[in-house]
Amino acid sequence: MMAVATAERVIEFRDALNEAMSEEMRKDNRVYLLGEEVAEYNGAYKVSKGMLDEFGARRVIDTPISESGFAGMAIGSAMRGLRPIVEFMSWSFSLVAADPILNNAPKMLYMSGGQFGCPIVFRGNDGAGGQLASTHSWCVESMYANVPGLKMAIPYDAYDAKGLLKTAIQDDNPVFFLESERLLSTTGHVPVEEYTIPFGQALTRRSGTDCTIISFGRPLHFCLEAADELAKEGIECEVIDGRTIRPLDIDSMVASVKKTNACVVVDQSWSFASVGSEIASQIHACCFDDLDNHVFRVHSDDVPTPYAHNLEQAYLPNSRKICEAVRQATYNA
Amino acid sequence: MMSTEFLIQTRENIDEMKDNAFQLTQAEAPGKEVLLGWLRQMLLIREFEVRTMQAYQNRLIGGFCHIYIGQEAVAVGSIAAVNPDDPIVLAYRDHGHALARGMDPKYCMAEMFGRIGGCAKGKGGSMHMFDAEHYLYGGHGIVGAQTPLGAGLAFATKYEDEVIKGGKSSHVTLCYLGDGALNQGCFYEAMNLASLQDLPVIFVLENNRYSMGTSIERGTSMAHDLRVKSEAHGIHHAIVDGKNVIDLYKDFKSIADWCREESRPFFVEAETYRYKGHSMSDPRKYRTKDEELVEESNDSIASLKNYLSEEYDVASDALKQIAQQVKAQVKQAVEWANNSPETPMNELYKDVFTDHWGPYAGTSKPEMLDEGGA
Amino acid sequence: MPIEITMPRLSDTMEVGTILHWHVQVGDEVSSGDLLADIETDKATMELQSFDDGLVESLTVAVGEQVDVGTLIATLLEEGAAASTESSPAPEEKHEANTQPAQKPIAGGARVSPVARRLAEEHRIDLSTVQGSGPSGRIIKRDILQLVATTSETTSAAQTTQISATEVVATSAPVSPAQPVKQVQALAPTSPWQQDRTEPLSNMRQIIAKRLVESKQTIPHYQVTMDFDMDPLIEMRKTLNEQLASASVKLSVNDFLVRCCALAMSTNPAFNASFGGDCILYHGPVNVGIAIALPEERGGGLVVATIRNADQKSLRTISQESAYLSNKARETGLAPDEMGDTTFTISNLGMFGVDNFTAIINPPNSAILAVGAAIEKPVVRGGELAVGREMSATLSLDHRVIDGAMAAMYLKTLKELIENPASLLV
Repeated sequence: MMAVATAERVIEFRDALNEAMSEEMRKDNRVYLLGEEVAEYNGAYKVSKGMLDEFGARRVIDTPISESGFAGMAIGSAMRGLRPIVEFMSWSFSLVAADPILNNAPKMLYMSGGQFGCPIVFRGNDGAGGQLASTHSWCVESMYANVPGLKMAIPYDAYDAKGLLKTAIQDDNPVFFLESERLLSTTGHVPVEEYTIPFGQALTRRSGTDCTIISFGRPLHFCLEAADELAKEGIECEVIDGRTIRPLDIDSMVASVKKTNACVVVDQSWSFASVGSEIASQIHACCFDDLDNHVFRVHSDDVPTPYAHNLEQAYLPNSRKICEAVRQATYNA
Repeated sequence: MMSTEFLIQTRENIDEMKDNAFQLTQAEAPGKEVLLGWLRQMLLIREFEVRTMQAYQNRLIGGFCHIYIGQEAVAVGSIAAVNPDDPIVLAYRDHGHALARGMDPKYCMAEMFGRIGGCAKGKGGSMHMFDAEHYLYGGHGIVGAQTPLGAGLAFATKYEDEVIKGGKSSHVTLCYLGDGALNQGCFYEAMNLASLQDLPVIFVLENNRYSMGTSIERGTSMAHDLRVKSEAHGIHHAIVDGKNVIDLYKDFKSIADWCREESRPFFVEAETYRYKGHSMSDPRKYRTKDEELVEESNDSIASLKNYLSEEYDVASDALKQIAQQVKAQVKQAVEWANNSPETPMNELYKDVFTDHWGPYAGTSKPEMLDEGGA
Repeated sequence: MPIEITMPRLSDTMEVGTILHWHVQVGDEVSSGDLLADIETDKATMELQSFDDGLVESLTVAVGEQVDVGTLIATLLEEGAAASTESSPAPEEKHEANTQPAQKPIAGGARVSPVARRLAEEHRIDLSTVQGSGPSGRIIKRDILQLVATTSETTSAAQTTQISATEVVATSAPVSPAQPVKQVQALAPTSPWQQDRTEPLSNMRQIIAKRLVESKQTIPHYQVTMDFDMDPLIEMRKTLNEQLASASVKLSVNDFLVRCCALAMSTNPAFNASFGGDCILYHGPVNVGIAIALPEERGGGLVVATIRNADQKSLRTISQESAYLSNKARETGLAPDEMGDTTFTISNLGMFGVDNFTAIINPPNSAILAVGAAIEKPVVRGGELAVGREMSATLSLDHRVIDGAMAAMYLKTLKELIENPASLLV
């Protein structure tokens, strides 16, 4: 049966991203893609493979290594109603474009009294790739999520990558879309039929009664691994995928914590003033009388990302750290 | 597409380019009525700025406030040289351009008063004048930040004309910057992209010789020959007289027409001078009183008045009448701004997102606000 | 300890001050009244004088510096303090010795996780009896759930005011020895019907929980009980109901009690009053509330219906209103103006065979009467042992409003009315 065949279609995460962009570009010619190596090179990570052939050099645009310039240029074009998708080869490189992406894009609508919006998507690899050392392993979510006026999505798998990216492109506001290099080659079920995933709606990836684990993107894989491990010890974890950091579906997280009375937040960025600390604070405020322990957090260690393989593995959030945190949160340490 | 062999560095070079059919065309000199209109605009800007200073000292205007007096001819002459729907983007010394573009002075003044009647409902202030109706894409507070935006606006008009409408690029963007922005990296990234992408944008350098308290010689390498700044990107450069609105207009018209036709960027340096301080709190200790007097003796408004008297026999009474009308108009604008209600509290939470998410309250999902909420 | 000198408030509106000049230097000896500094306030330049004798130890704010009122600007060493500072460890040790015991968890301040505290309240577990298994002896959810799993509570007739029946309150008032005390019963672990289950609270249950916890926690309750000879009243009721049957009059014992309580209230105004924080509020109208248990099929719970101006209504009127309100409460629910505004409440479990119990005050009332059944028992009448019908009723009282003697007076009035029921007719 056809329905079964399509339902079981399995593609790579990067192809899901490609499909999202291509579908939106076919529908709306205001949408264009620009960034380093997106066109003739077919994308540094082959996310935009074939898009130059389909859409031409006018809509799939190679830029020089000039993040501040091309991010600012894209924002200027978005002020006139174009809908650019800006690919940062790595979000680590977005730091040199901090002024346009943080000072212009999220504030334009407000500062102009509602006259000029900024329908733009910034996307690229976020987080440690694998022995890329400190300058290339940025997790920008905590630093950037601090800014009002932007939305931020972090996909967990190929299905979410496509559904969330389509929503991002259709959104009239600046969206920061954080992918993971380590997930690009993973495969997952992506239906042929068009779909989108709304922002601000978390998904329970595993149900459980003893402890809520909240995370986003790649670390969710470690959370699920940890949950399997903990189940063998009789600790049933509920794993919540926030999907978007802004807007944050705190309601779903609170509902889960009210049930389990324990919570661990796993956030791959550094712990100080982070998405993890923000969620912990909100959980403490909303679930004060439902907590059996304070909220525990698992982050990358508070040091620059090391190069050495063993150090990097120890530095990142991983299943072992998550298991330890859950055991402590549930008084099973 | 463009050869870079032909570089312009002085007004004489512009004239040479105009003689060359391949390059710039000779723009027509405007007639008496147009000139009277420009005079009115320049007087309006000056009177507006005087009253702005007064209001600032009376604490009706807060924050940073940058006065345009002395540079009026640049905004008036350059904006007259482009079409009303050509985009404009600039830095924070932006009141004059807003008025030259057609913004009613009362909206401009109310914006500085932080009132709901302001062009951005009092959310932007002196440095951030936005006016969608007049294709004014903002004053921008961070030095140089507007230059990639200018490239982007030109990218957008070109994309709209060519990709969406399937025609020929037919707009040109004016992107103004001060000499302080010459030292910001993003300006060079913007020029590089504009050249690579053949973007019809004119980077208008309003060289008033001081970035705040630092003279251009102290802050910018090759200050004596700024053509090298754009030459490095294959972008033509021209110097225009920022004190003479007629010459400035003619040069700008030629350049703008060329940029529109060829879909190429340009770098125009307008030599000018701000009579007042960088901002309202600037004691101007970095330059001499003599220098200021010399500059003020060559005033663009006085020159235009003389020209109108001599060439068109405009009576001094007629000129006085214009000045009086402008004074009354600005007075009304100040009163209007002062009577405009304060920006209501619910505006605090509006325009954060187009779909009215927000604000983020810290412990809850952002509330969907009522007005226009999705 | 050095003497701390802070920026003084030298005018009504002063919030910050600037030191214009220090008249002293570090090491100077100063006496009380000596000039220390000139301070510029928002209004003027003022002089700061020393209130103490001592040695200037430090000046912490420089000349020209502006600081908030209250900011430390200088310290003085008391005379002879220089020597003691060298041996400063002594007071510190003492300080530590003082604080250490306080850090140990004690029963009253035991560490409890928030959800454990909430669960303990819900299951009425005294936290001081729980041994915490968490870090530093913190009582955690698991500790409470283990306790709950091994004990259960008898909750017969829990839908009515028996919430209070399980609670025995230490009081000077007599409490019947038959009062049920919390009964603990081990659960057989295997029977399926005995498995735990949770049901979300209905709105009504939430309100009952909130209001009665508030009442029990904030009102100093005590109880006074009295037995009443019911023979005359029951005889009269029988006669009246027989004679008025054709007029559809059917008086209940409770109708008589409403009238008795109301009349007794009008002569004992403290029973028609509320505690008002810094005053006692004496109500004008005498509104008697009747606790009505709701049937299980309507979600259970209870409501208090109001008989307004009960002291001015005849038995017949009270009876009609009471019957109407009871039926309406059980069938469709009461309108807001049919409950509330009560100044006293009667809770009657006599019809269930309860002989006596205590009730929790229904705020803002200052008393509630818990009425048991009129039962036949051996009584002494005129020196002779006989069989009589007696009813036991227990007042719960707010001691902030009503003292024991006043309660006794009220019960005496009530007794006279109940045992001489003819007065209720006229």
